[in-house]
Amino acid sequence: MITLQNVNKHFGKLHVLKNINLEVKSGEKLVVIGPSGSGKSTLIRCMNYLEEPSSGKIIVDGVDLTAKKAPITKVRQSVAMVFQGFNLYPHKTVLENLTLAPIKIQGIPKSETEKTAMEYLDKVGLKHKANAYPAQLSGGQQQRVAIARALNMHPKVILFDEPTSALDPEMIQEVLDVMVGLSHENITMVVVTHEMGFAREVADRVIFMDEGEIIEEGTPEHFFTNPTHERTKLFLSKILR
Amino acid sequence: MIKEVITPVNIKFLLQGFALTLYIAFISIILSTFFGTILGVIKSLSKGILGKLVGIYIEVVRNTPLLLWILVTRFVVQMKAVNAGILAFTIFTTAIIGEIVRGGLNSINKGQWEAALSQGFNTFQTLRYIILPQAFKNMIPALLSQFITVIKDTSFLWAVGIEEVTGKSMILMGYYSKPMQVFTIYIIVALIYFIVNYLLSLIFRAKHEKLTLQGK
Repeated sequence: MITLQNVNKHFGKLHVLKNINLEVKSGEKLVVIGPSGSGKSTLIRCMNYLEEPSSGKIIVDGVDLTAKKAPITKVRQSVAMVFQGFNLYPHKTVLENLTLAPIKIQGIPKSETEKTAMEYLDKVGLKHKANAYPAQLSGGQQQRVAIARALNMHPKVILFDEPTSALDPEMIQEVLDVMVGLSHENITMVVVTHEMGFAREVADRVIFMDEGEIIEEGTPEHFFTNPTHERTKLFLSKILR
Repeated sequence: MIKEVITPVNIKFLLQGFALTLYIAFISIILSTFFGTILGVIKSLSKGILGKLVGIYIEVVRNTPLLLWILVTRFVVQMKAVNAGILAFTIFTTAIIGEIVRGGLNSINKGQWEAALSQGFNTFQTLRYIILPQAFKNMIPALLSQFITVIKDTSFLWAVGIEEVTGKSMILMGYYSKPMQVFTIYIIVALIYFIVNYLLSLIFRAKHEKLTLQGK
C-alpha cells in the first residue's frame, strides 16, 4: 500500500531521514515508536506528502508521489491523517467538519455524506455533538471527531501522528478505544505513538526509529520481550517503567 | 443667525454631498477589498518575484500620502474628478487591505493548512473554504477601521473640486461666513460622518461577536 525507497529528508543541515526503506502492506497496522526528534513524524508526513522528501521514492496505492505532476491531491483523498493537535476546522460545526471535504472535493451528495458522517460520529460516541463547534468539545472529543472526519473520506489508509500526545491523561483512553475498534477493520493504519499498550494490542509490526534511521523492526512480542538493539532496550526501559 | 444655516434646503444640500461621499467610499471599499485580498494572498504565499512585486507596491503606497494619489489621478491621468477619486482611493486602500489580509492569513495556525491539504483540498480550495473564512474573522476590527478611514478621508476630495459632503460645506461657507455659522456647518458635517461610521462600527462589532462566539 505504501512503499518508501531510499527516502532522505534534510531540514537545512539536519539530516532527519536517512535512507529509509519501508513497505506497509494493505490492511497492516504499523506502529512507529522512537524518541522525539528521531524523525518518526517526518516519516509519516512523507506518506501523504505533507513533507516532500529530499530524495528517494514514495509510492502510495500504486502512485509514485515523487514523480512530476503526481496526482497528490487525489491520493490524499484516500490517505487520511489524524494530527497531534486535532486541527478541526473551528469555523465549522462537527458535522460540517466531516462533510466539507466529501462534498467539495469528492463530489458526494450532501445527504449521502451526512448520513455516513452521522454513522461515524455514532461510532466514536459523539453523535449528539453533531451541531456543536469544535471549541465546545474537550480535547479527547475533538480527536474522536478528527478520527470520524478521517473515516468519512472512506480512506484506504489512516496516518496517526501522535494522536494522544496533546491530550490530558484521562482523555487518552477514549481516543485509544476508538483506534483499537478501528484496528479490527480492513484499513491500513500507520500510528506514531508513545502508547506502548496500544502498540502491543494492535500492531502487526512495530518499527523503532532513532536519529533518522529504522533501528529495529518486528512483531510487538519481539519488541516487548526480546529486543535486540541496545538503543531499543534503553528506550523501552525508559518508557515501559 | 444659526437658524439661517439650519434650513431644510441646506441640510438637503449637505446630504446630497454625503450621498456622493458614500458612493465613492462604497465603490472604493468593494474594489479595494477584492484587489487587497488578492495581493494579501500573493504576499502571504509567494516567496518568488510576484510576492516581491506586491511587497514593493504595498510599501510604496503605504509610505506616500493619499492626497498625492488623488492629485496624480486627477491632474496627471486627467480622469474625471469622481473616477479619479475612486481610482486614487482604490490604489491606496488596496495596499492597506493587502497588508491586513496578509497579517490575517499568517495568523491562522499552520495545522489548518495541513488538515485541509491532507484531506485533498488544493491550495485554492484550502484558502477558499478553510483559511480565508477564519482569517476574515480575525481581520474584522482592522478592516472596519480601514473602511471608516476611507469614508472619512473622502473629505480630501474637495481638493480636486468634488462636491462630496465636505466640499458642499465649503460652498455653504461662501454664504454663511460668521464663525458661529461656520461652526454650525461643521457640527452638522461631523454629525453626518459620525452617525454613519458609528452605525458601521456597531454592525461590524455585532458580526465579529457572533463569529467569535461560534469559533472560540
